[in-house]
Amino acid sequence: MRRYELLQSIVPEITNEFVICNLGFPSQELYSIRDNDHHFYMLGSMGLSSSIGLGLSMEIEDTVISIDGDGSVLMNLGTLSTIALEDCKNFILFIVDNGSYGSTGDQPTHTAKGTSLAAIAKAAGIKSSVEVPGSAAAAELKKCLGTPGPHVIVAKVDPGSPAMTPIPLTSLAIRDRFREAIKAAKAKA
Amino acid sequence: MSANDVNQALLADLKANGADFFVSVPCKLLGGFISTLEQDNEITYRAVNREEEGLGICTGAWLAGRKPVIVMQNTGVGTLITSLCSLGNYYRLPFLMVISHRGSPGEPIGAQVPMGTAVETLLQTINIPTYMFSDPKDTKKIGQLVPFTDVAEGPVAAILDYDFWGAR
Repeated sequence: MRRYELLQSIVPEITNEFVICNLGFPSQELYSIRDNDHHFYMLGSMGLSSSIGLGLSMEIEDTVISIDGDGSVLMNLGTLSTIALEDCKNFILFIVDNGSYGSTGDQPTHTAKGTSLAAIAKAAGIKSSVEVPGSAAAAELKKCLGTPGPHVIVAKVDPGSPAMTPIPLTSLAIRDRFREAIKAAKAKA
Repeated sequence: MSANDVNQALLADLKANGADFFVSVPCKLLGGFISTLEQDNEITYRAVNREEEGLGICTGAWLAGRKPVIVMQNTGVGTLITSLCSLGNYYRLPFLMVISHRGSPGEPIGAQVPMGTAVETLLQTINIPTYMFSDPKDTKKIGQLVPFTDVAEGPVAAILDYDFWGAR
């Protein structure tokens, strides 16, 4: 199972949650599987999916899922401690761990050589931090959606990606559509 | 104006202009201001590990309707350039950076001078509207930069030196 098939497997579990999606192939793949106004696609700023999701989850009642990658989390490990301290019940950090920098040619990351992001997250203070095989990730996400977070799910998958094209949305279109969806959700709450 | 008065006046003017969500990375020049932020229960304030993380958190908060300010030392601009370009500028996120200016006159540590000298040019190079302040009486002008971020449709920087903080 690669990230694409993993994302296909978890998308049916995601209904009204707000999703911050990591840049590059993850966003392109998610967009190709399903697109809606609850998705914020990152086009740059590698490493910040987790932090953007954290900031959002501090401010809204709805659940926020940051879809992140192993290489990106390794760039911003400090934020795991902030996520732990902030203790947002409505935040899930979903890490696609394929042990490689998938968008740049599948160079191996340190998770391919033994680093455990779930163990780091746990040591940072996030009690609900688990590593699961990609095939079990949808069930794990479903479980986490039904219990208070913050949760970290590390889904182990193989490297690789189907051929993808850039998302045909501008940064401002992504931004404004997402912001309006949050405004609407807040008005409903 | 005492150092304590500057901190109170700066926060009051930022709040009066709509700022309601603050993150910071520490600096000795910001010590008093950070204490002022910590003690204010009308705003959301969080300490973060790194400026980029702060920018991410502020992005999430802005998407949810808050008006964020990043409080940081000028050295942090060095770690922030890429995200300022590909997140702050590219998505035109209107937030203010309140930046203390280590390496400006009054600085006792030589190692601070290279980044202190580079910071204004670095921000201008990536097209961030950048304003320098030395007078502690300028807190109102700094506060007015909060709504100016919406006019500028993107990040704006205020760089506050030793004289502003009364630290020389």
